[in-house]
Amino acid sequence: MAEVTLRKIVKNYGALEVVHGIDLDIAHNEFVVLVGPSGCGKSTTLRMIAGLEEVSGGEIAIGGRVVNTLPPRARNISMVFQNYALYPHMTVRENLGFSLKIAGRPPAEIEKATDEAAAILGLADYMDRTPGELSGGQRQRVAMGRAIVRHPDVFLFDEPLSNLDAKLRTQMRVEIKKLHQKVKTTIVYVTHDQVEAMTLADRIVIMKDGHIVQTGTPLEVFERPANTFVATFIGSPPMNLVDGVVAGGEVRFAGDASLPVPPAFRGRVQEGQRVTYGFRADNLMPAGHAMTGIGETADIDLTIALAEPLGAETILLSELAGVEIQGKMYNPRAVAAGERLSCLLALDHAHLFDAETGASLRT
Amino acid sequence: MTRLRRYARDHAVPLALLSPAVLVILLVVLLPLLFSFYTSFSNYRLIRPDSLWDWVGFRNYLRVLGDGDFWSAFGRTVLFLTVALNLEMLLGLGLALMVNRITWGQRTMRTIMMFPMMFSPILVGFQFKYLFNDTIGLVNNALQSLGLASEPIPFLVDRWLAFAAIAFAEIWMSTSIFAILILAGLFAMPKDPIEAARVDGCSNWQVFRHITLPFLMPFIYIAMTIRSLDVARAYDIVDVMTGGGPAGRTELLWTLIARTAYDDARMGRANAMAYFSILLSIFFTWFFFRKLMAARRHLGAF
Amino acid sequence: MSRAMKDRLIWAVTFLVMLIICLPGLWVVLSAFRTNGEILTKPAVWIPQNLTLDNFRAIFGLGENVLAIPVGSYFLNSLVISVTSTVLAVMIGMSGGYAFARHRFPGKSGAFLWLMLSRTVPGIALSLPLFILWSWIGLIDTKLGVIVVYTAINVPFTVWLTEGFFRQVPRDLSEAAQIDGCTPWQAFWKVEFPLARSGIASAGIFAFLTSWNEYALASQLTRSTDSKTLPVGLMDFTAQFTIDWAGMCAMAVIIIIPALILTFLVQKHLIAGLTFGGVKG
Repeated sequence: MAEVTLRKIVKNYGALEVVHGIDLDIAHNEFVVLVGPSGCGKSTTLRMIAGLEEVSGGEIAIGGRVVNTLPPRARNISMVFQNYALYPHMTVRENLGFSLKIAGRPPAEIEKATDEAAAILGLADYMDRTPGELSGGQRQRVAMGRAIVRHPDVFLFDEPLSNLDAKLRTQMRVEIKKLHQKVKTTIVYVTHDQVEAMTLADRIVIMKDGHIVQTGTPLEVFERPANTFVATFIGSPPMNLVDGVVAGGEVRFAGDASLPVPPAFRGRVQEGQRVTYGFRADNLMPAGHAMTGIGETADIDLTIALAEPLGAETILLSELAGVEIQGKMYNPRAVAAGERLSCLLALDHAHLFDAETGASLRT
Repeated sequence: MTRLRRYARDHAVPLALLSPAVLVILLVVLLPLLFSFYTSFSNYRLIRPDSLWDWVGFRNYLRVLGDGDFWSAFGRTVLFLTVALNLEMLLGLGLALMVNRITWGQRTMRTIMMFPMMFSPILVGFQFKYLFNDTIGLVNNALQSLGLASEPIPFLVDRWLAFAAIAFAEIWMSTSIFAILILAGLFAMPKDPIEAARVDGCSNWQVFRHITLPFLMPFIYIAMTIRSLDVARAYDIVDVMTGGGPAGRTELLWTLIARTAYDDARMGRANAMAYFSILLSIFFTWFFFRKLMAARRHLGAF
Repeated sequence: MSRAMKDRLIWAVTFLVMLIICLPGLWVVLSAFRTNGEILTKPAVWIPQNLTLDNFRAIFGLGENVLAIPVGSYFLNSLVISVTSTVLAVMIGMSGGYAFARHRFPGKSGAFLWLMLSRTVPGIALSLPLFILWSWIGLIDTKLGVIVVYTAINVPFTVWLTEGFFRQVPRDLSEAAQIDGCTPWQAFWKVEFPLARSGIASAGIFAFLTSWNEYALASQLTRSTDSKTLPVGLMDFTAQFTIDWAGMCAMAVIIIIPALILTFLVQKHLIAGLTFGGVKG
């Protein structure tokens, strides 16, 4: 059993505090993704779990054992680095077997373990090459193979796909997911790419400025963002946000536009309260192009500024109360700039946030 | 006190790793220099040990500053360094550009270029003392056999000829440092900017002046910095070739220090002079190191 | 000027330059195999009549005309002093270079500058206090005394070179090794050291050449056959009333050969070492 527990984790470099007391429980065999913009403290947190950075405050436990002062080698973890960190002077076989050799295991066992890992990752043909002779994807696989040979309690991934091109990235994403299903180990994965986070994670941890902003399954954070930061960070294109004031069951925007208060928020807002209205492009569509069974809707007439055909759908750019918003047209037809379309907004998927703090008004 | 302890605790590992280096330099360089600094204010003579306590204040420095021999040696040293370093740089640049253009036998040429680098300065001095000797030297023999000179030319006796002979030896020894480093720079140089400049209509000279040379500057300054670290190696050459003579005509700052300290046994005064030589060396190194740093920042634009 | 003419001109100049570089050394080597009689003959004898190994026999105390100069001991002293001080300087310098490459600490750039400046002190200026201090503590005219000094003067440059090479080794690798179960010490020796080996080798060569060729300090700190090195020993020849040119040439050959072999073995690393340390900031 290897659950990972972080209790009030703090990291500071001299006077500069970069992680401000993080609490996180990661269950056995769970795939957790730490995601956030660069500088949010996600990599630092991962490196503290690995033992590569000293913990300035709080407690880290792996499998119930507090590891704060243990060196990396005593934590039974393995890590895949952003630049792979393969040993350039060793062959693939030596790279894979290095950790077992250091542990003083017999050669026969090392050979068995490396062959096993090579088979899982399809590396058997490259075993006697050096990392310099491998392609990016192969290096990535070796880095993963090196991590699995020793059957660690926890896998750590530090932005492992960020150096690959887009196509390879998609492919490796699938491989990592498959790997997790095969080897069933606790995984902590750091990335700045929300698509990676959504597709890989059992649970997403969104970080900003050294704090955890929200934790939840991919669907939870997508559908019930805790604040405007999560709303815009998760999902593509980012959620449309328009500021307004609550008035008689509606939210009034600048100009004379208004939209009804979404059902989930009725009774949670007061007359005259300043709010931010949020909805995703997926839920704003021209009448006649809507999906069925979308629940309560609101009508809204929009002038299209620009249409971006993507094939299966077209992204529509328009404007509401002086703010640029995006909608989606399913089963698209050609749309000209300046065309006026009457659209539907699916209110069940609309959100209200506090205009000051950005926090969701759902609770 | 607590701040110092805190510093030591926070940086224990690098401090431990650095301590052997710091310790050995403290012991062999800094401590002796402090001692010699004290000595330069005393009337210390090797033959009278108790004169070490004979404090004379700034007298040694005043004597040195008022000494014509010192100033002519100092001036000759500065002239020597200026001439030698500039010629080494220019010749090294020329040599590197030349070897860079040659395609056949380039590797052999590079190996030959490294030849003088591994010569001990004392060997270089001896080698040219032998070559420039007025009775049996290769140069004089050749000139006479070819009928270009009827009388042997006193290369190591005449004031300016001896200066030139010593400078020749120094340049022979050190040009290769420049040539090798500049050649490494030429190899590392990206081709795109040169091609872009040609497309923009630059002539060969303009390409060299505006693209190649700026790129090579850091390499030139590394060579200069490495060279200025031991400009004082010229002492070895002069010591074996002329010994500073005849009659002090080729005396450089360093040979003057050696003579004052060991032959005249005036340790105090020699140490005062030594401080001028140390400042001179530090000045040269610091000057080129600064240039190197500036050029390195500039290179970031490439 | 036509292209062919230009090429021919470059070749001619190159040949001339190579001649100037090679000729003095070759002439000395040739003279080492000639007799003093032939060297001193006037007018000059250009084609050697009889080449001989007598000069080498003489300086090693073999054959009939035994020389008073114990080149054998000088050679041994030079070897012991150079090898020991090189090993020490590389170990000390590597440790310091690693600290500069891998660790951050306040005062780092200042410390680096001071280290380098300590290397600029002219040998002769340093020899004055060392001569007195070493006399007091009994290190004068001992191999140990010279070894300590050479170690110190080689450390700054060794630090500089190894620092450049350690910086080339990604920090990730050491971290990966520690996660793979290495202690920091194992991670260094199994991963970082092998990758920086060529740089460490070139630092070692430079240190060895500096020690092997040094004269200004050795000439003051050594007195007898117990500690005199080859470069100092070379001056023994000039101390005599007449200069034994052939003998000196033979000794010059003995001094240059080890340096030559060593340099050719690692010339590739030497250039990389010099440029890496400096340019790739």
